[in-house]
Amino acid sequence: MPNKLISLAEAVRRFSWDGMQYASGAALPVGSDAIVFGRELLRQKRRNLHGVFHCCGQQLNLLAAAGVVAKAECGFAALEVVGFANGLRRAVESGRLALEDYSNLAMTLRLLGGALNWPFVPATVNIGSDLQARSAFSPDEYPARSKIPAVTDPFSGKTIGAFSPLKPDVAAIHVTLADANGNAILLGTEWSRTELSRAAKKVVLIADAIVDPACIRQFPNLVRIPDIIVEAVVYWPFAAWPHASPGMYDMDEEHMFFMNKILASEQGTAEYIRDFVENFSDIESYLDMIGRDKIKALSASTSSFLLDPYRRWILPPEDVASLTLSTELAA
Amino acid sequence: MSAALDYSRQEMMAIATGREIRDGELAIFGVGLSMLAGFFAHANHAPNLRSMTEGGVYGATPVGGLPWGIECNRLAVNATSFTSALDALGFLVASGRCDVGVIGAAQVDKFGNVNTTGVWDGDIGPRYRPPKTRMPGAGGANDIACGAKRFIVMATHELKRFAEKVTYISSPGYLDGGDARERQGFIGGGPSAIITTLGILRPEPETNEFVLDGWFAFSSVEEIKANTGWDLRVAPHAGKIPEPTAIELANLRKVDETGALRKK
Repeated sequence: MPNKLISLAEAVRRFSWDGMQYASGAALPVGSDAIVFGRELLRQKRRNLHGVFHCCGQQLNLLAAAGVVAKAECGFAALEVVGFANGLRRAVESGRLALEDYSNLAMTLRLLGGALNWPFVPATVNIGSDLQARSAFSPDEYPARSKIPAVTDPFSGKTIGAFSPLKPDVAAIHVTLADANGNAILLGTEWSRTELSRAAKKVVLIADAIVDPACIRQFPNLVRIPDIIVEAVVYWPFAAWPHASPGMYDMDEEHMFFMNKILASEQGTAEYIRDFVENFSDIESYLDMIGRDKIKALSASTSSFLLDPYRRWILPPEDVASLTLSTELAA
Repeated sequence: MSAALDYSRQEMMAIATGREIRDGELAIFGVGLSMLAGFFAHANHAPNLRSMTEGGVYGATPVGGLPWGIECNRLAVNATSFTSALDALGFLVASGRCDVGVIGAAQVDKFGNVNTTGVWDGDIGPRYRPPKTRMPGAGGANDIACGAKRFIVMATHELKRFAEKVTYISSPGYLDGGDARERQGFIGGGPSAIITTLGILRPEPETNEFVLDGWFAFSSVEEIKANTGWDLRVAPHAGKIPEPTAIELANLRKVDETGALRKK
């Protein structure tokens, strides 16, 4: 397999466009999400996105606050204990963003359906509630017929529902470790990243660390995303910041609350983009932006031991940089 | 409150919820209050509880305070298995295997239907329109409400939250009451209790309408009725719910290390 390491800016240039159906992380609101990919989407002025986010983390919160998401589909649209997602709220409440609601299992099953290329997925959840009866994408249908239509189970004769499969144009998936070929190890729960990686038409991995391929061969059972379905690999430490990455770093509590608060207004969002989206040019300046003391504190995670078995294979940043440069020069 | 023990309403709610969970059960908790209630049960009277989160974190107990979310490192530090949403919410919950789930509610109605999606001014009407206040949405609660053998709803007992009919059903209880839920054909049995900051409501047989089953030492039938948006009936056997014991409180506070439930 070829070396697929490219820079973040190059990945966004190649694998995003206006109006695309964009899926990320399939992440939990404080966990793995390729948030830095969303920052770069804003830097490259992508707009009119159709977001497929299993849960709304800070990435969708930011993209929605910035007004570049026209439609989104979610299972959970807040930030867990951190609170409601103010940027997303503002976009939804003003009617600027149509948010189609499903449950968490429904989003997983729809990605599974896309991955299997099924025509539909039997729905035994979401039926009978307003998740089935109400549609933000087809607001005039009540009860909605096109969202989770009723179908008959051919075996029992019972009425159930049909979920539509999801096949996002591109998925930017955050992983803890990847090799340069695109084999990935995910520490923490997968949530629906396995299904997403098979459902999306193109997969870009955003990895906190790059490992030698020998690491992958040592733990093949743990490789949930194999290189054969991956288009590109981006190395970006603290890619999920301010979310957590189990084994790597804790959630940045201070920035999580700060970010959510400032995204509650248009002016605050502009300030946030100025200070935390436009204000870095490479990995070093990104880490400076977070703050070196903060990086140190967040890295001293009680979960760090989870990374111990893999540490000896982690490539130093300069090796990753030269691998990245070689692919870009070849292209 | 008793003179001997000082505890908050939220702590009483968490303890009353925990008491509903039995040793050995397969249980699923969401983040926040429901997780504290569940892990309190584990620490207090259900050492063999088999708990999971909807992200597929197994065997974990919170370390260092209330987890910020399901994938928070406060839960990642002592897990025995990390799997996935399909595994936890699908294989173990929607399949009908899970014994009990605990979910929160921003609004709940007399048939135990739960709204966590939004606050609208009045009814939504025939055309769907965005809410005045957008809330988190269904998350995994809908899957728990459809699939778990029974589930418990936790809610702050306020008039605006206890409605004759919720504006939007995010997670189904008994729908329109009676056999409406049975006709829908969910594999899960429905809500067994609504535990509030004032007392406990349970479904009446046949009608599946929630009635008052008990009140806490610091509340009363009058206070609960005044904060309920339907004509709440009182079950014949309803009475005062035992206060937390010193051991229960100590066990809860061991789980709630950072005092999330003690804050106002």
